[in-house]
Amino acid sequence: MGADLTILLPEIFLSLCAMAALIFAVYTTKDEVAPLLVWGTAAVFVALALWVALSGNVTRTAFGGMFVDDAFARFAKVTILLSAAAILVMSKDYMVKRDLLRFEYPVLIALAVVGMMIMVSAGDLMMLYMGLELQSLALYVVASLRRDSVKSTEAGLKYFVLGALSSGLLLYGASLTYGFAGTTSFAGIISVATDGNISVGLLFGLVFLTAGLAFKVSAAPFHMWTPDVYEGSPTPVTAFFATAPKVAAMALFARVVHDAFGGVVGDWQQILAFLAVISMFLGAIAAIGQRDIKRLMAYSSIAHMGFALVGLSAGTAQGVEAMLIYMAIYVTMNVGTFAFILTMEQDGRHITDIGGLNMLSAREPAKALAMLVLFFSLAGVPPLLGFFGKYGVLLAAVDAGLGWLAVAGAIASVIGAFYYLRIVFFMYFGDPEARGTDVAVAPVQGAFLIASAAVMVLGIINLFGVEALAASAAIALVN
Amino acid sequence: MTSSFSRSWLSLAGLLPVAIATTLFILFLQAVPVIAAGRTLRQVWQWVPGLGVDLSFVIDGLSLTFALLISGIGALVMLYSARYLAGHVHQARFSLLLTSFMLAMLGLVLSDNLLTLFVFWELTTITSYLLIGFDHSAKKARRSALQALLVTGVGGLALLAAIILIGTTAGTFELSELRAMPAILTGSTLYLPILVLVLLAAFTKSAQMPFHFWLPNAMAAPTPVSAYLHSATMVKAGIYLLARMHPSLSGTDVWLWTLTIAGAVTTVFASIMAVRQTDLKLALAYTTLMALGALTLLLGNSTGYAITAAVTFLIVHSLYKAALFLVIGIVDHGTGTREVDRLSGLVRAMPVTAAAAAVAALSMAGFPPFLGFIGKELKYAGALAVASEPVLVAGAVLLSSALMFAVAGIVALRPFWGKAGDPPKPPKEGPWAMLLGPVVLAGLGAFFGIMPSVIATTLVNPTVTAILAEPGEAKPLLLWAGINLPLLLSIATFVLGAFLYALHRPLRRGLIWITQRTPSLDGGWDGFLAGVMAVCRWQTQLLQTGILRRYLFLTFATAFVAMAGTLVAKDAIDLPNLVPDVLPKHGMLFVLIFLGLALTVITQSRIAAIAGLGVVGIGIAMLFILFSAPDVAITQLLVETLIVVLFAAAALRLPHLPRGGSGWRFWDAMLALGLGVTTTAILLMVTASPVDRELTGFFEGASWPEAFGRNIVNVILVDFRALDTFGEIAVVLVAAIGAYALLKGTPERQKK
Amino acid sequence: MEQLLSVLIGALVAGSVFLMLAGHLLRFLFGLILLSNAANLTIFLAGGLTPGAPPLISEGAEGPTGTVANALPQALVLTAIVIGFGLFAFALILAFRAYQTLGTLDTDAMRVAEPEEAQ
Repeated sequence: MGADLTILLPEIFLSLCAMAALIFAVYTTKDEVAPLLVWGTAAVFVALALWVALSGNVTRTAFGGMFVDDAFARFAKVTILLSAAAILVMSKDYMVKRDLLRFEYPVLIALAVVGMMIMVSAGDLMMLYMGLELQSLALYVVASLRRDSVKSTEAGLKYFVLGALSSGLLLYGASLTYGFAGTTSFAGIISVATDGNISVGLLFGLVFLTAGLAFKVSAAPFHMWTPDVYEGSPTPVTAFFATAPKVAAMALFARVVHDAFGGVVGDWQQILAFLAVISMFLGAIAAIGQRDIKRLMAYSSIAHMGFALVGLSAGTAQGVEAMLIYMAIYVTMNVGTFAFILTMEQDGRHITDIGGLNMLSAREPAKALAMLVLFFSLAGVPPLLGFFGKYGVLLAAVDAGLGWLAVAGAIASVIGAFYYLRIVFFMYFGDPEARGTDVAVAPVQGAFLIASAAVMVLGIINLFGVEALAASAAIALVN
Repeated sequence: MTSSFSRSWLSLAGLLPVAIATTLFILFLQAVPVIAAGRTLRQVWQWVPGLGVDLSFVIDGLSLTFALLISGIGALVMLYSARYLAGHVHQARFSLLLTSFMLAMLGLVLSDNLLTLFVFWELTTITSYLLIGFDHSAKKARRSALQALLVTGVGGLALLAAIILIGTTAGTFELSELRAMPAILTGSTLYLPILVLVLLAAFTKSAQMPFHFWLPNAMAAPTPVSAYLHSATMVKAGIYLLARMHPSLSGTDVWLWTLTIAGAVTTVFASIMAVRQTDLKLALAYTTLMALGALTLLLGNSTGYAITAAVTFLIVHSLYKAALFLVIGIVDHGTGTREVDRLSGLVRAMPVTAAAAAVAALSMAGFPPFLGFIGKELKYAGALAVASEPVLVAGAVLLSSALMFAVAGIVALRPFWGKAGDPPKPPKEGPWAMLLGPVVLAGLGAFFGIMPSVIATTLVNPTVTAILAEPGEAKPLLLWAGINLPLLLSIATFVLGAFLYALHRPLRRGLIWITQRTPSLDGGWDGFLAGVMAVCRWQTQLLQTGILRRYLFLTFATAFVAMAGTLVAKDAIDLPNLVPDVLPKHGMLFVLIFLGLALTVITQSRIAAIAGLGVVGIGIAMLFILFSAPDVAITQLLVETLIVVLFAAAALRLPHLPRGGSGWRFWDAMLALGLGVTTTAILLMVTASPVDRELTGFFEGASWPEAFGRNIVNVILVDFRALDTFGEIAVVLVAAIGAYALLKGTPERQKK
Repeated sequence: MEQLLSVLIGALVAGSVFLMLAGHLLRFLFGLILLSNAANLTIFLAGGLTPGAPPLISEGAEGPTGTVANALPQALVLTAIVIGFGLFAFALILAFRAYQTLGTLDTDAMRVAEPEEAQ
């Protein structure tokens, strides 16, 4: 028991921090301490990321395999913690300025992160369900945090309704899986579904689990909540939605299909490939007509999840590695892009219309250049880092004999490139008469923007060694 | 772009690129003897070993010819631009873009790895986009830039798809390894898709019909850009790709006919359209199209004549066309117009420009002793040796060459000779920095024409060898090859050309009349873009309505399709004995639950619905008791009571339930029924299979000895699955915080 | 018995889907409660039904005597019930807030994100 708890120490520590913060806030001046809490939470995230990253390279399990601490979980956790810290720090100014910052915000984010950490370490269906619910519930609250906004309330509601539904699907899938496998542990399930033999009943469990997880990663056709929720939520919340939870859900996805259903790759490969193709195309096509940059990022994330799923559907260690690299790059790009979106305003009012980017190059050349790099990278234009992300997943698909999927991915990326380039076009060759966003003084956001753009450029030298970490993470998962 | 010549043009931004290009040119020159000796140079660096991406570069005849053209013309164009754009606010940006382009283009032709080639390919597209849109205050420039980007961008991605397929088929992305396996692609089942994708890439980049329309529009770019990118180098990337892939893809009927037809149609169409233009730059743009068509046409073949002709014409064209573009830039700068009708007699004010223009034009028209003449002779020889339809092909070449002859006259003769015209500004000779380029390029055309052996052995032969992947196929470059059919055709060209030149004004009027009455692809472009936008918006409105009910419906429908689909696909509908063995007390319980359910679903009263829910909950709790789960039953009862109490408390503040029932509800009912039935079907399967109690057995055995608990459920929850319980607490905590966050003191803020 | 329970769960699913599709938030909540009941029953059913033998160990014994009900699904159902309750409590508050802010619980009217004019 004691040994088990040491393995869970980071999660327990974070939960205790959240409780302590809650008590501290309730017994002090409440919202006035919120900025302090934001910094504190971010610092705890970074410290935990270091702790997790430096905690050796072994695979340990706790509570009879319910909780798995391996290289894969650590990779996902570090990505989650760091991106959550970045989003927290850069959204502080925005929220303070608009009187949105409540002490619940950092506490809820911390609890959501606990949920995510449990998700990526889950070795059991109930663990999975619980981590997911913990995360989702915290996110439902955060989505409707802005109480005076109709859009925000509506967004929170829609997110909740569809999220609860997907949790229902997931739970149903878990119960079917339990019914046919006789166990909820992944290790037990994989011993029942081996060598490509899966009973039809277990297949139903798999289908429902996949549907529930597809909702969480916002893969089409379970994506419908994404644009409305992205647009309606307060921008810092949207930024958070676009980053850490996506990594957690995708890692969980990988864990379920490999740890529990790794013996029947052929059965889920088709489902995932299908989800990947329609996500990539739907995300790319639907984004073209959008005027709101947050909606656009929503469709963009749908398409990106499609690409990550391409890697996953390869069903190989190489595919998982490519998926992890893709997610790490995706998160970095989104942190930078949202850092910029947070600074968009006219006369002190936050704007999200794409027109706000008009002729940005004339007003803020450095930021415009950084955005150009980010958008090109999002579009997968070589030689920026985003290209390597796409290249890796497509290559994994090719090597796994899914050449058609890779070709579909290449075509979808052309269509997708269109809307990113259209924005770049606005920034550099827009209408000089139209009014764009005001020049914002935002050192924190600016720093994140420039830093993430710099990563996209400098990363092409050797991917900062992320590749080796992702490789060992993938091997830990797939073997 | 009309900023006046500034005195201090010798800036770092202007001259650094010149130095870079010159250095590169000199470096490449040093490779000439090695390549001429029949060797190739190869260099490999590991880039991203994990993804198997290496940087590998190769210098053979083909890449060296291109590299010399790129760096050599680059140096001259950059010197020209330093003066042309002196004092422009964005001169530094321009230099940066132009240098980036040059490096990308060099990377493209030197790459030995298909993936790095693709990377550089896309980089040239992007730098071209930014350079076309350089004058971004002009709406036309913005539209043209976007158009060029989209057309060539689509081609680029087609190239990526082709590369993936090639990699899958051949197992390598290295071009040198690919060339060592000649039939690996042509014999593959994927040959046709690969070919189509490669041709799509090459045809969009090199502006072949029907993707040609972006190139004339790209003339919105500053003139040095047009000279460099859109005539001498970038548009030849497609030609380079065709030449590079020639050993792996050529030799089939599809290759031969597609290239022949696309090339012939492009070359004839473009040369006719060139006569129609009154803007000198546009006229030149169409002649570039014509040249690209001719090159495509020739590359369709595998004979030594055709390929030698292609290589020679490639060099000739780059030299004279860049020179002429630069000349027109000088004329534009010096007089303020490019309209052919307003320019005449410029030779008096601009003698050096006129001389350069004349030499370049003679090469273009194909007069001896210029290199253009040799190029044209070889073109005829190549056309007559084609494997498809020699007569038609030679006819197409004849017609286009004659038109070229006429255009050369229109562009380079008319503006300079005759009596003085009526330009907006008094004509003025250009500065030396701008004159050097045209003079050197035109001069080289003459020099190589007189001494063809200089390039024949050093460049043309190794290039032909590289394209055909076997040595000794190249044909000699001769100024005088005796009286043969090509010579006779040349003479016919001159006669027909002179005739067309004399008639070019009525011809132009006729063409303008026709083109105004025919729909153009360029005009269709805007419609196409609008159509794409409309389709996108339509599908968004269809799926993303913002109506939650639709989202739910779609989600349930997908779940239903997935379930029913799996049931049918796996042929799993296997209903066991459906005679239930029900005890009366169980039966009554079920009836009770069904009634509660029905009440909840049907009623329009909030209280009745809540009561119905309560009945269902209590019924289920009793089920738990009947089937030996007292702990669960107690919890269920407790939770159910709480739910009812909470609901009842909240319901008083919530509105009444509306009436159900509209057209949609029929389908809702069908979907609900479908899901219910499939659920039951699956559950019947579950219950038909035996239960695995291995894990439970462990808990039963370990409950007392290890955890000292007599209630096994409690032991599982508290000891063996403590983590779940920890999580449960966390979930309830979050729910509580959420409820608090949502409820705390804001009812007065009910804004809309 | 198992067959009848399967039919019951199917009916619960059908009823909850129909309620959820009604386009009213309260009805959605009713549907959600029914659906979580259905899921709990599914887990319970999947573990096998054993009437009249609760999973208890009598005093002095090392393990249960005879066949007792499967304890594991019971533990799982307990977890699911508690989580479901947390979810429900939050949902109720959310609906309450939504009514205060939006003035309606009719989800068809909640289209600020995609206003009707855009059609």
